[in-house]
Amino acid sequence: MAKIFCVANQKGGVGKTTTTVNLAAGLAKVGQRVLMIDLDPQGNATMGSGVDKRKLELSVYDVLLESATITEARAQSPKLQDAGCSYDILGANRELAGAEVELVEVERREKRLKQAIAAVDAEYDFVLIDCPPSLSMLTLNGLCCAHGVIVPMQCEYFALEGLTDLVNTIKQVKANLNDDLQIIGLLRVMFDPRITLQQQVSDQLKAHFGDKVFDSVIPRNVRLAEAPSYGLPGVVFDPSSKGAQAFVSFAQEMVTRIQTL
Amino acid sequence: MKPTVLILPGWQNSGPDHWQSRWEALHGYTRVQQHDWMLPLRGDWMTQLEEAVLAASGPVVLAAHSLGCVLTAAWASHSRNTHRVQGALLVAPGDPQRDELRAALKSWSPVPLQRLPFKSTLLGSHTDPYCSFARAQQFAHAWGSEFVDYGNRGHINAESGLGDWPEGLQLLNQFMKKENA
Repeated sequence: MAKIFCVANQKGGVGKTTTTVNLAAGLAKVGQRVLMIDLDPQGNATMGSGVDKRKLELSVYDVLLESATITEARAQSPKLQDAGCSYDILGANRELAGAEVELVEVERREKRLKQAIAAVDAEYDFVLIDCPPSLSMLTLNGLCCAHGVIVPMQCEYFALEGLTDLVNTIKQVKANLNDDLQIIGLLRVMFDPRITLQQQVSDQLKAHFGDKVFDSVIPRNVRLAEAPSYGLPGVVFDPSSKGAQAFVSFAQEMVTRIQTL
Repeated sequence: MKPTVLILPGWQNSGPDHWQSRWEALHGYTRVQQHDWMLPLRGDWMTQLEEAVLAASGPVVLAAHSLGCVLTAAWASHSRNTHRVQGALLVAPGDPQRDELRAALKSWSPVPLQRLPFKSTLLGSHTDPYCSFARAQQFAHAWGSEFVDYGNRGHINAESGLGDWPEGLQLLNQFMKKENA
């Protein structure tokens, strides 16, 4: 049975999509079977995985509307297959925003994704869901089906403020919709140890959240930033870069961590 | 309160000579902007309309053309905010289920055929290349719209030579007063 994780943070621009696609590629690289679900209408995780969002025949939108199954709608990227880091992609484009309007009167609308994943659950070790930054019906769909949340965060002053909102959201979803839900861990991203403030915030995070902070740290790395423009995760774009290596270490840490779940 | 008129262009947007653009310039009506006019995604367009309706400070009147008419029907079949709409002028609805349009507008089929929860008037043309006259009549009947046979005016757009289209504006104005809506 697959372990399902949302990559979420209510703060925008913190590296959610970079984390999702690189963790997916890293997990694939260490032999895990992975489905990556893009729940953000911007479709950046789709494009960053080598699938053109403008040419999607079917997407996660069709799955939420129950006009297609995940088996029918998932795609693969030839670029990832060539690199030996292939994972399945349930893509998104702006069409997905319509689900907010179209499902408004549907009962149990926040459980649509959970039902759809149940049908393919046995085919994967990991399902990773890239959530939009807002607390929308889409994000709720992700949180309702997940075993846990991976929270990427930059070690900056306001990062902790966004985290309080997310922790409160997770508590509410856990209490009302998904008893399994928990924060699996906080992932420090775009980390630059030369900046004193980042080191201080990192220390604060460890003091406050203890082993909920992943050991892996993703450094600020230009190759990770360049990779999306080539339609590739950094792990595939430049495997020797420090950023790519950090994500592969993180993937290994995740594989170890889920054994205790 | 005076209603906000929302202009809903169709696929590829309406150019400067289109009556929608002229009304926008002359009367200060608000065009509902879409992210992608060339590759229209129904869910995306519906969300833009929903947000425009919610952003208006009071009641709303819709002035739709072509795919904008289908957008009105699709949005109205789902939204919880249709009570904000005082009326809709639906001009030359496009038919995305036509063979030659189906591939480009694939997310728009089938066209919803539920009755609109607000008053509307629909104009159909006998020479519309994007929708047969019979199909326009079918839409009007299904949506509960008052139907106007607008003769041989093509797609009732810039090429139809309508200028500022005062006749259309008169039809729109019937929805501007609450008691008529």
